[in-house]
Parts: sequence; structure tokens; C-alpha cells
Amino acid sequence: MEPSAPLAIRVPAPRDVGATSTIIEIEDFNFSYGAKQALFDVNLKLDARRVTAFIGPSGCGKTTLLRCLNRMNDLIDGTVINGGRIRIHGVDINGPEVDAIELRKRVGMVFQKSNPFPKSIYENVIYGLRIQGVGSKSRLDEIVEKSLRGAALWDEVKDRLHESGVGLSGGQQQRLCIARAIAVQPEVILMDEPCSALDPIATAKVEELIHDLKKDYTIIIVTHSMQQAARVSDKTAFFYLGRLVEYDDTQTIFMNPANPQTEAYVSGRFG
Amino acid sequence: MSVPPPAKAPAFAIHRRRTRILGLSLDQCIQAFFGGHALTAVIVLTLITVFLFKEGIDFFGQNRENLRIYRQSGMEYVDVLRELERDHTSLTRYLYDIRLRALQHLTGPGGRSLPEANAALADLDALVERFGDAVVPIRGFVSDYGEVAVGIKTRFIENQDFAEAKRQYLAAGMVAEAEAITVAPIDFKAEVAAITGAFPEFEAGGRDLAREVASTVQQLPALPTPELQHRLERFQQLAREYAASIDGRLEQMRTWQWDRPVPATQAFTAFIFGRQWLTASFWQDWYGIVPLFVGSLMVSAIALSLAVPLGIGAAIYVNQFASRREQQLIKPTIEFISAIPSVVLGFFGIAVLGQALRALSQAEWLAWVPGFPFAERLNALTAGCLLALIAVPTIFTLAEDALNNVPRAFREASYALGASRLQTILRIIVPASLSGIISAVLLGLGRVIGETMVVLLCAGNRIAIPDFTQGLTAFVQPVHTMTGIIAQEMGEVVRGSIHYRALFVVGIVLFFVALLINFLAQKIVRRHRISIG
Ligand SMILES: Nc1ncnc2c1ncn2[C@@H]1O[C@H](COP(=O)(O)OP(=O)(O)OP(=O)(O)O)[C@@H](O)[C@H]1O
Ligand SMILES: [Mg+2]
Repeated sequence: MEPSAPLAIRVPAPRDVGATSTIIEIEDFNFSYGAKQALFDVNLKLDARRVTAFIGPSGCGKTTLLRCLNRMNDLIDGTVINGGRIRIHGVDINGPEVDAIELRKRVGMVFQKSNPFPKSIYENVIYGLRIQGVGSKSRLDEIVEKSLRGAALWDEVKDRLHESGVGLSGGQQQRLCIARAIAVQPEVILMDEPCSALDPIATAKVEELIHDLKKDYTIIIVTHSMQQAARVSDKTAFFYLGRLVEYDDTQTIFMNPANPQTEAYVSGRFG
Repeated sequence: MSVPPPAKAPAFAIHRRRTRILGLSLDQCIQAFFGGHALTAVIVLTLITVFLFKEGIDFFGQNRENLRIYRQSGMEYVDVLRELERDHTSLTRYLYDIRLRALQHLTGPGGRSLPEANAALADLDALVERFGDAVVPIRGFVSDYGEVAVGIKTRFIENQDFAEAKRQYLAAGMVAEAEAITVAPIDFKAEVAAITGAFPEFEAGGRDLAREVASTVQQLPALPTPELQHRLERFQQLAREYAASIDGRLEQMRTWQWDRPVPATQAFTAFIFGRQWLTASFWQDWYGIVPLFVGSLMVSAIALSLAVPLGIGAAIYVNQFASRREQQLIKPTIEFISAIPSVVLGFFGIAVLGQALRALSQAEWLAWVPGFPFAERLNALTAGCLLALIAVPTIFTLAEDALNNVPRAFREASYALGASRLQTILRIIVPASLSGIISAVLLGLGRVIGETMVVLLCAGNRIAIPDFTQGLTAFVQPVHTMTGIIAQEMGEVVRGSIHYRALFVVGIVLFFVALLINFLAQKIVRRHRISIG
């Protein structure tokens, strides 16, 4: 995929139409930071092994919803779910018998700003396995190679696996974080503006990677770049002021949106 | 018709406007103001260092003189005999200890009455008595010839005083008074010969002692338990070694020379490695820093071993677990501890903690703790516990800062990979802030080593190296510290005397230890910054 087409929104190519199955169901979901409500009655069904993009103006709640999917918001004081539920494979992830730690092993996350640990590349990749108690050297070696290849980073770092991960370039760091996330073999990978700090070439690499990862993972990506959403996603959800405005095939959202707000946003008239 | 002159282009006004104060531009004034502050700090530090050295450095000359007199007055010679006697005394004490244990065993539950038990130990008593008697002649020598040596030294010191008085009279122009003072120089060689001349006696006495000790322990009485018998055999072995060492000591006396010079380095080594700090004694004054240094070190070790887990644990709790409410309660509380005047802590130590610890040590269920029970209320443990209180706020505050500096993103990344809270803390947060935590500990140590009031009041102030052969028991013995000794003795010493200067040298050592600790802490933090950036 070429990194160009900087100005016009390229019409997405028709997607392969395989059978899709729903993996995540969000029903009437409401969420507040203390007294401030950030999400209102969100209803959304996300497909397995597809890329879904969340778009919308700043502050509309994209990150909030994304972080609800692996309960990262539990770590913030005073957050409340005031209505609705999120199910993954039919299981309510906020249910009393759900362990957030187990959930996060199934639902990985890549952050906006790349955040490798101040450890070697090797240790960064296997961190998730180490904490699960995997000790076998040969198995770890194997996973490191597989994950780095999966994140299209292997060739660039294979000779310096034991150097610090912090010494990589921004784009390499972000791919290292993706490798770290896929090393624990999650089912879902959440990406919050993964390319916002990257140059066009690094962005193209990550987008290509997302395209490849789709075969094995369900990917949800938050982005501010219309082009990126158009290039990488199968479906797109448009949010505005904490509400889901429109959710449809990416092609439909960009070419033929039902809602005038969506139309205005994707054509760049506000946002 | 005149063409108006072309309007002059407006000036490109980028020149600096010059406000000058005393011929300096504003920038230079600001620079001088702040530079002045920095310079003051540097000057003060330099002055302190210079002052310490100026007062302290003469110590080494004086100490060399002190050691020279020790030799020339024959005290060093007599001390060989004195040591012979002292070693004998400690063997006797060992023997008494065995007897006490045997008696306790015999009169124990269901045992015999006291007279019966004493009767059963008659053989042992005979041994004790004979062993004790063996040293009597040597003890006589030590006391007789020790007096001679002290006499020589006293006259030497008097002479010094006379000479000083004479000098002062002359300086004041009072020639007649100066003339009236006659200083009779001391002929050390002749004086000391009065002691060394008795060597044949010493030699005979030493040989007798060796023979007597060896033959006394030839036959051992039977003791009621194998354990006691074993102890007695150990005594036998020690006594034989003692007897065998006597020849060497006699040889040392034979080859002793009153006029062998004291090397300049010895004044230094006698201080740094000296195991005795003994002042205003009737015999010889020793200025060895080891007992004080060890005392400071022990007290600090106790303090840190308590304060490090407490301070770092509290920092981790506040940083990672506590709700905002708890943070607002815990942080100021811990920081408030550092506002307690240390003399108040000292009071608390004397009145409450020392008592409480002693009571605790005598509790039945704690008997397994090494060193428990102990009798001294004020000891290294009491002082260490209080110093821990002083170190906790420092360690807590700095460690909390270090933890706070760990980017939030590391934490989130760890949680997002399915790590538990404990795993995140142990594998990510603590390693990432480790250097900050280490320097927090070092600065805590600096705080503790320099603390004076608490140790002066609560450490027990016994100037001796604790007995480490008993393991951890050493930590419940009273100690004295470098800071404590300065505070205690500085008020009483004569300005300019060797004792006064020795205290200054202790101050120098303290100063450098503190400097070193701070330097290390800074270095570690700096390296940490580079690795993160
Ligand atoms: N930790 C928080 N505490 C309180 N309010 C928050 C917190 N995080 C986000 N919010 C609020 O919730 C709302 C949604 O924020 P969110 O970060 O989800 O927006 P976003 O769509 O991701 O925006 P952006 O595109 O700028 O990243 C905003 O109004 C924001 O101010
Ligand atoms: Mg966001």
C-alpha cells in the first residue's frame, strides 16, 4: 500500500466479502468520569477479524470507549459505568466473575504514544509472557521471532535484540509495542491513534501491518486521519459528543453517509 | 518646484537598549546576583573544610609525640606485661563462666542443695584457684613498674608545663620569674633502664607462669555434662596457647628499644585503625576512631534496615495503592516526623522506647531472637530504632518522587498486557525508579550518620567495639558514635590540646563520609537521568 494520497480521500477498494461474525457487542453503554458523563447509550456490534475504525472530533469519547473494552478505565479513580454492558463472545466483561487481568490478556492495546519499557527489545516482547510465568528459553525465543516478524520489525532488529527498546526510532518503537501486544496472542487489539506520532513512511508500514494482522486478530483503531480510516478499516463508527452517530461499512460512511453530521465531518467541514 | 525629499526609511531598531548599573548591563547584574549566591555557598563550604583541617591537622603531630612519650617512658614496655596479665584475666573469666554453668546445672530442678553442689565442684575450684594464683607475681611487676613509667611520663609533662610557663614569662618580659624556673631535662635512657634492668626478673616470672599454667591444666576435673566438659577442654586448649605465647612476649621485651623512633605514619594509622578511644586515663591516652566508627555504622545499619522497608513500602503504597484521601493523610504525616526535634525523640527513646524494648526482649516468646533478653536500656538498637524514624521521611519523600517520575505510560502498558498490580510494581515501576530509590536510601543514610542528639541520648555511650563473636548480640550492646563523642567531649576539652584536635579529626572523617554519600547519591541519580532520556 502506498503512503501517498495525502489530500483526496481515496475511495476504498471493495472488501472481500467473507462471512463475518460478531465478537463484541456494546449495548446501551453509558460511562462517566466522576460526575462527567463521557459516553451516552452507545450500541455497537464489532466483527471478528475485521478492522473497525472509531472516528470523531476530539473529546467525543473514542478513547474512552476503546479503554472500556479492556477495562483500562478501572485504573482511573471515580469512573462509573452507568448503564448498559459490553459483551465479548457473549460474556459481560464487567460481570462480577470476570478478572480484568485475564480480560486484558485477551484484549491487547497499543497506545497513541509508543511506550516500550526501558528494557531490551527481547524483554519488551516477552514481558507479557514472563508475567504469565513462561520460562522456557526456546519457547520465548520462538515467540520473540514470531511476534517481531508479525510486527514487521524482525529484519530491522534481529541483530540487536538485547539492546534497549528505547533506542529505536519512533516508528520502530510503535511496531515493537505491537509486537509486544501480539506476543501474548490476544484476540482483539485496540489501537489508539497508533500513527499520530509517526512520519508517512512509518505510518504506511504500520497500516500495512494492520492489514496483515486482520487475518488473525480483531482490530479496533481510533484515528483522526480520514485517509487512514478509509485505507485500513472495514467498518467505521462516527462519534460525536459521546454518542454514536453512525456506524456502517467504511465505504458507505465515506461515500454515502446517512447522517448529515457524518457527512460534514468526513468531508472535513467540521471537526 | 521642489521635489520633497524621499522619506527616510524607518530605522531598523534592533539595538540593545542599555540600562547600566555601576557600569554593568542589566543582564550582567542579574548574572552577578545569582552567581554571588552560588559563590557564597562554595566559599562557605571551602571555609568549613579549611577550618576543619586547620584545627584538626596538628593532631597527627601531637599524636606522634604522644606515642613517642608512651615508648620513651617505658609504658609500652610495661604494657607487654600488662597484656600478659589481661589475657590471663580473660581466661580466668572463662573459667568462672564454666563454674557458674556447672553450679546452675547441679542446683537445677531436682538437683542438689547449694553446699552439696559446691562440694561436688571442689576439684574445679582447686583448678580455678591454682590458675588464678599463677599470675600474682606478674601482677606485682605490672603495678610496681607501671608506677615507675607513669612517674617518668608525669615528670615529662610537668617539664613541658614549666617550659611553657617560662616561655610565657619571657614573652611578657618577666625575666626574673623565668630564671626562677629550672627545667631538669629527663634522661630517658637512664630512667627507663630502671625498668628494663629488671628483665631477668620478668623473664623468670614469665617462665614460671608458663610452666604453672601448663601444669595446672594438665589434669582436668570431671564435670557433670559433656557440654561442660567440652568447654573445659576448650579452656585447656586456650590456656596452652597462652602459655606457649609467653616466650614470644618475653622476646618482644628483650628486643625492645626505648629510643626506636615513631614513624610519622603511625600517628595516622594509630588513629584510623586504633581500636581504643581512651582519654584522661591515668595510664596512656588512645585516640583510635574504630570503636566510634563501628558504633556509627551499627546504629546506621539498624536504622536503615528498619527505615528502608518502611520508607520504600510507604512510598510504594502511597504512589500505587492509596486513594487520593489516603495520600492526603499519609504524606503530610510522614513528612511531619521530620519536624520533630531530635532531642524530643531522644527523650522519647530514654523514657519510653528503651524501656519498652528491654521489656519486650525479656518476653518469653521472643527468647529466640538473637541478643534477647538484654539488660541495657540504652543501646545500639534503641538508638537505631529512633534514627529509623528520622530517616523514614527522607527515604519516603525521595522514593515517592522517584516512583512518581516513572512515566504513567509504562504502567498502562504493563496493565494492558495483563500484568497484576504487584507484577507491575515489581517488574516495571521499581526497576524504572531504582536509581532514584537507591539515592533516596543513601541520602537517608547521610541523614542518619550525621544525627547527633538521638545517639548521644540513646546509644548508651560505651566506647568499645561490641563483641561480634556473639553474632547479632552485638547490636543490643551500648555503643558510642562519631557525632556523639564530639558533642559530648567538645565542651570539656582544653582548646588546642591533643584531645581537642582528635575530636576535630573525627569531625573531618564525618564530613568526608557525608560528602561521599551525597556524591554517590548524585552520581546515581545523574546516571539514571541519562538512561531514561
Ligand atoms: N481521565 C479523565 N478524567 C475525566 N475526564 C476525562 C478523562 N479522560 C477523558 N475525559 C473526558 O471524557 C471525554 C472523552 O474523552 P476521550 O479521551 O475519550 O476523547 P477522544 O475522543 O479520545 O478525544 P481525542 O481525539 O482528543 O483523543 C472528554 O470530554 C474528556 O475531557
Ligand atoms: Mg483519544
